[in-house]
Amino acid sequence: MPVPVPDDTSGPFWAACAAHELKLSRCTNCGWFAYPPRAVCLQCLITPPAFGWDPVSGRGTVRTWTVVRQAFLPDFAAEVPYVVADVELVEQPGLRFLARLRGTAPSEPAIGLPVQVAFDEMGGGIAIPYFVPAAM
Amino acid sequence: MAGKVAIAGYAHSPISRRVDMPLGALTVRTVLEAIADAGLGIDDIDGFTTGALHPSSGAGAVIDGDQTVTSDWLIQHLGVRPRWLCGFQGVGQICGSVILATNAIASGAADYVVVHRAMYNPPGSYHGNDMTEAVGADQWSAPHGYWGPPAMIALPYMEYLQCYGATRGDMAHVVTGARAAGALLPWSAWYGKPLSTEEYLKSRMITDPMSVLDCDMPVNGVGAFVLTSAERARDLPHKPVYVAGFAQGRSGPDNGVDQWPLADLMDGGEAVARMLWESTGLAPHDIDVPQVYDGFTPFVYFWLEALGYCARGEAHDYVKDPGISPGLPFRTGGGAVGNGRMHGVPQMLECYLQLAQRAGDRQLARAETAFACQAAPCMGGVVAYTTEPVS
Repeated sequence: MPVPVPDDTSGPFWAACAAHELKLSRCTNCGWFAYPPRAVCLQCLITPPAFGWDPVSGRGTVRTWTVVRQAFLPDFAAEVPYVVADVELVEQPGLRFLARLRGTAPSEPAIGLPVQVAFDEMGGGIAIPYFVPAAM
Repeated sequence: MAGKVAIAGYAHSPISRRVDMPLGALTVRTVLEAIADAGLGIDDIDGFTTGALHPSSGAGAVIDGDQTVTSDWLIQHLGVRPRWLCGFQGVGQICGSVILATNAIASGAADYVVVHRAMYNPPGSYHGNDMTEAVGADQWSAPHGYWGPPAMIALPYMEYLQCYGATRGDMAHVVTGARAAGALLPWSAWYGKPLSTEEYLKSRMITDPMSVLDCDMPVNGVGAFVLTSAERARDLPHKPVYVAGFAQGRSGPDNGVDQWPLADLMDGGEAVARMLWESTGLAPHDIDVPQVYDGFTPFVYFWLEALGYCARGEAHDYVKDPGISPGLPFRTGGGAVGNGRMHGVPQMLECYLQLAQRAGDRQLARAETAFACQAAPCMGGVVAYTTEPVS
């Protein structure tokens, strides 16, 4: 799998994932969550930017999805078919997170399906978030 | 701006999966043919522009003259020193280039401008990328197995299908129509190769609900146009086709990964459509040759709805009318599905050929107004053309 390379901006995100916690970049001036992290807060445009990192619930609903059947990334060839979902997190309207959705058949996702984040250990201190249907 | 600038000539290379000469050489040849077609010589041309993005998300290097051809490369190899040279940076490349050229001519920065577009099909998988590490922006997509434009378009298309009850069978009308038109075009990669509904429905799925035939086929090819002022165009051999107005899309707020929720895509598209209709004074049903973009087939629905041909959610029914809708020849130019991945050139070419009365056997009885779209309606462009200079 393509291994994410934490950088000055993304380091805290991947460190939290390694601890199986979802933390997102958040403007300390206006409270706006930014995922992925942005250069500037799109809500208040404060400069210099004043982003911190806040934990989120990892809960959300499926906005839409695709079933990947041809892997353009060869490392995913053994995984097809798999579902990539566009999940809107509960913390903020329009706060979207694209990740794999597991635990459903390719035909099973639905718009509005409640989901919950989980983490996949990659080794080397990296864990990748993905979603599963939320426990009812 | 309307009516001040016209297309005076064109040339188009054969479109093919593999090229038998370097893309730069094919571009030089095609551009020289376009200049001659306009009744001009190389020394008359004093402006050059293109949008040179090579849209593959594969891992191969992009070398100017091989995988893409900038106007800068072109003038160096033509050995000319134009007074105006400009590159369009963004998506909607052919529309953006035409808009730059139109403004340059109208302002007097250049008198005769070559707009070209050169497209390249790399060996191997177009979007295949064997990265082992995901650096920078890629770390938010690749580790999730999310990669490449087809998936990006599949997400809002799935939303469309789910929200409006559309089916892949509906889209068959778009694809078979485009291929029927493309089968008549001698330069097309699909010349003589129409497609049946059954073949479309059986085609290999790439990323649901997109099959391989919902994506235009990567090709090599070059299109070139010569633009000049309305006054100068009237002294040249071919009937001028006037730029009547244009609009460019903006993606809206940065969404981090290149993917738009359907509603955002349509809000942005409707804003572009408003700009087009306001800049031209025209309305959808004034247009004789509407050439919507189809590089990914869902864009046909999105453009038709954004431009006001039908309401949101209705395009999948609208396209089932014969000829998409009686009297509206959306598909005469074949588009990207009927030609190959020429990034908006087929749409512009069809506008030009029909309005210049140069479409041969395909000539429409009425062809006085046209538009050519490219890319997604929220992040692309559209240029309108007329046979009479409207202002």
